[in-house]
Amino acid sequence: MQTVLKSGVLISMVFSAVTLTILVLKTFSFGKKKLYAEPTGDIKKGITYAFTKGMMPWEKESAGSHLPTYICGMFYHTGIFLALFYIFVVIIPITLPDIAILIFQVFCLSAFVSGIVLLIKRLLTPYMRELSCPDDIAANIIVDIYLVLAFVHTFFPGITTYFYLTAIIMFAYIPLGKIRHCFFFFYIRILFGIFYGRRGVFPTRSKIDET
Amino acid sequence: MNEKKDSKDPFDEQIEQLTPDDLQKALQVFEQKIDHKYAAHLNSCVHCGLCADVCHYYLTYKDLQSIPAYKLSLVIGVFKKYFSFSGKAIPRWVGAKTLDKDMVKEWIDSLFGRCSLCGRCAINCSIGLNIPYLIRTARSALAAIGLVPPGLQSTVNTAIEKGNNMGIAKEDWLETVEWVEEELQDDIDDRNAVLPLDKKGAKYFYTINPREAMFFPLSIQAVGKIFHAAGESWTFSSDNYDVTNYGLYNGDDEAAGIMSDRLVRSMKELGCNTLVLAECGHGFNSNRWEAPEWLSKKYGFEVRSILEVVAGFIRDGKIKLDPAKNQDLITLHDPCNLVRLGGIVEEQRYILKHAAANFIEMIPNRQKNFCCGGGGGQLSMTRFSERRLKVGKIKSDQIQKTGAKIVASPCHNCIDQLMELNKHYKLNVQIKTVCEIAADALVI
Repeated sequence: MQTVLKSGVLISMVFSAVTLTILVLKTFSFGKKKLYAEPTGDIKKGITYAFTKGMMPWEKESAGSHLPTYICGMFYHTGIFLALFYIFVVIIPITLPDIAILIFQVFCLSAFVSGIVLLIKRLLTPYMRELSCPDDIAANIIVDIYLVLAFVHTFFPGITTYFYLTAIIMFAYIPLGKIRHCFFFFYIRILFGIFYGRRGVFPTRSKIDET
Repeated sequence: MNEKKDSKDPFDEQIEQLTPDDLQKALQVFEQKIDHKYAAHLNSCVHCGLCADVCHYYLTYKDLQSIPAYKLSLVIGVFKKYFSFSGKAIPRWVGAKTLDKDMVKEWIDSLFGRCSLCGRCAINCSIGLNIPYLIRTARSALAAIGLVPPGLQSTVNTAIEKGNNMGIAKEDWLETVEWVEEELQDDIDDRNAVLPLDKKGAKYFYTINPREAMFFPLSIQAVGKIFHAAGESWTFSSDNYDVTNYGLYNGDDEAAGIMSDRLVRSMKELGCNTLVLAECGHGFNSNRWEAPEWLSKKYGFEVRSILEVVAGFIRDGKIKLDPAKNQDLITLHDPCNLVRLGGIVEEQRYILKHAAANFIEMIPNRQKNFCCGGGGGQLSMTRFSERRLKVGKIKSDQIQKTGAKIVASPCHNCIDQLMELNKHYKLNVQIKTVCEIAADALVI
C-alpha cells in the first residue's frame, strides 16, 4: 500500500511539474514581444530589488501596513517550501538530525497556524470574502491539511498513508488552481524587476551628482 | 460634453446594442494584446487583498468595486474563461467570467471609471502584478468595439484628425509662438531670445502639451527662457509639437502609434539629436517607454524629459539659478507616469533644490506618491468627474499638510486636476510647472 501511495505521490509530483511547465510555456504561446525602448536603468539590479528590498515591509507600503498578514505570509510560505522538501525526506527516506527536525516542526507549525489565520481573515473580512472564489478557500485548506499532517508525521510516522494521500491531492491540484502561484511567483518577480529595473524606477537611483 | 449617465445616454445605448460579433471582436483584440508577460500575470493573482488600501479609489469609497484586485479579477476572469483550461473546465471554482453585456458595463465602470492607471497597486502587489498594464489590455478590447467613454475617445480623435489633442489650428499655434517670443524678449529685455520653429539640425526638439499653447503660454515662455539662458540650440515643430498621447489611456495602440510617430518623423526631418518631452507625465511614459513598442522600432535618438535636460544645464553650469528668487514654501507633486512608471524621480528635486529657498516633500513621495486622481484619462471622462474630485481629496490632504504656498507639478494633466482640487477643496495654493519655478530663479 505504502509503495503504491509513494508512487502516487511521485506521479502526482511529476504531473504537477509537467503541467506547471506547460502552463508557463503556454504563456509564451501568446507571443514574446521584443522591447525597443532603450533602458535607462539596470535590469539585473531591478530583479535583485524585486527579490530583496522590494519585498520588505519598510519598502512596500502594503506589507508595512499589514504587518501581521505579511508575517503570516512569510511563515506560511517558508513552511510550505520546507514541507515540500519534507515529502522527499519521507519518500527517500532521509534521516534528519534532531535539530533539523525541531526546526522543521517549528516552521511547519507556524506555517499551519499562519495558514489558518489567513483563512480566517479571508472568511471574516467582508471585502476579502467577496474577492474570493472557491479555489482561494480550497487551496488554503488543502495546503493547511498537508502542513498539519507533515507536522504530525514528525511525531507519528504511522500516519504516512494519510500524509501521502494529502500530498497526492495537493500536487495534483497545484496546476489547476491558485497554488500555481508558487511557481509563477518567481516568474512574476523577475518580470517586475525587468519592468521597473529597465525604466530606472527601482531600485531608486541615487541623487544627482553635483560634480 | 456632459457624459453624466441618464437613460438616453447614447453611450449606454451603444452598450445595449452590442452583438455577439462585437464581443468576439473584443475577445480577439484582448488576446492580441496579451503577450507572455501578461499571460503570466493573468495566471497569478492570489486575491490577498493587500492592494486595497494603497488605491486612492478604495481609500475614498471603501467598496469592493474599487479594490485593484477586484478590478483585475474582471480582466483575469475573462482571461480564464476563454484562455485557460481550468477556467473552461471549472469556471465558477476559479472565478472565470463570461464577457457579455453586463461584464462590458462592469469593465467600463471599473476599468475606465475607477482606475487612473497610476500603478500604485502594482508596486504594492504581493506578487508584483503589473495591474495598470493588465487593465489597459481590457481597455484595448473595449476600444476595438468603440466603447471608450466619449470624452476620452474624442480627445484621441481630435489628436488624430487635427494633429494635437486640443485641435489648435496651425496659424493659431504659430501666432502663439510669435506672441510668447515677444513676451520672452520683453521679459528679459533681449531681442536675441527666440522660440525657434523648424530649425534644422537643432540639438533639442522640444514638444509641449497643447493646453500650454491654449491656456498657459507662460510655461512655454519659461522653457524658452531656460534654453536661451543655456545658449542651447533647440526648436519647436510648426506641425508636430503635441507631447500628449491619450492612446495610452484608451488602449488603442494603433492611434497611439500614429501620434507618437509624428514626433519621430519631425525629429528625423529636422535632423535633431534629442526629443525633449515637456512636463507631461503620460506624454513622457508614452513617448519615452511605450511608443517604441507601439511602433516596433528603436528610435536611434535620445528621448528625454525636459527635467533631465534642465537638471543637466544646472549640473553643467550652463544656467545659474538663484533660489532666493523663490522664497515661498514649495512642495512637489510626483506624477505617476513620470515617476513610478517613468523613472524620472530626482531631476525635479535637483532643479527645485537650486531654484527654491524653501522646499518641503509631500508624504508619501517619489515612487510611493498618491495619484492626483487625474490620470488614466479621468480628466477627459466627465462621466466620472465626481469620482475624480472625490479621490483627489487624498492629494488635497497631502498638499494641505505641507503648508506649502506653491505646488510644483511636472505634468500638465496633473496641473489640471490640481487646479480643480485647489478650487474644490479651497487649498489656496499656486500651481506651477517645475520649469516655471526654475525660470523665475534664472540669473541672466
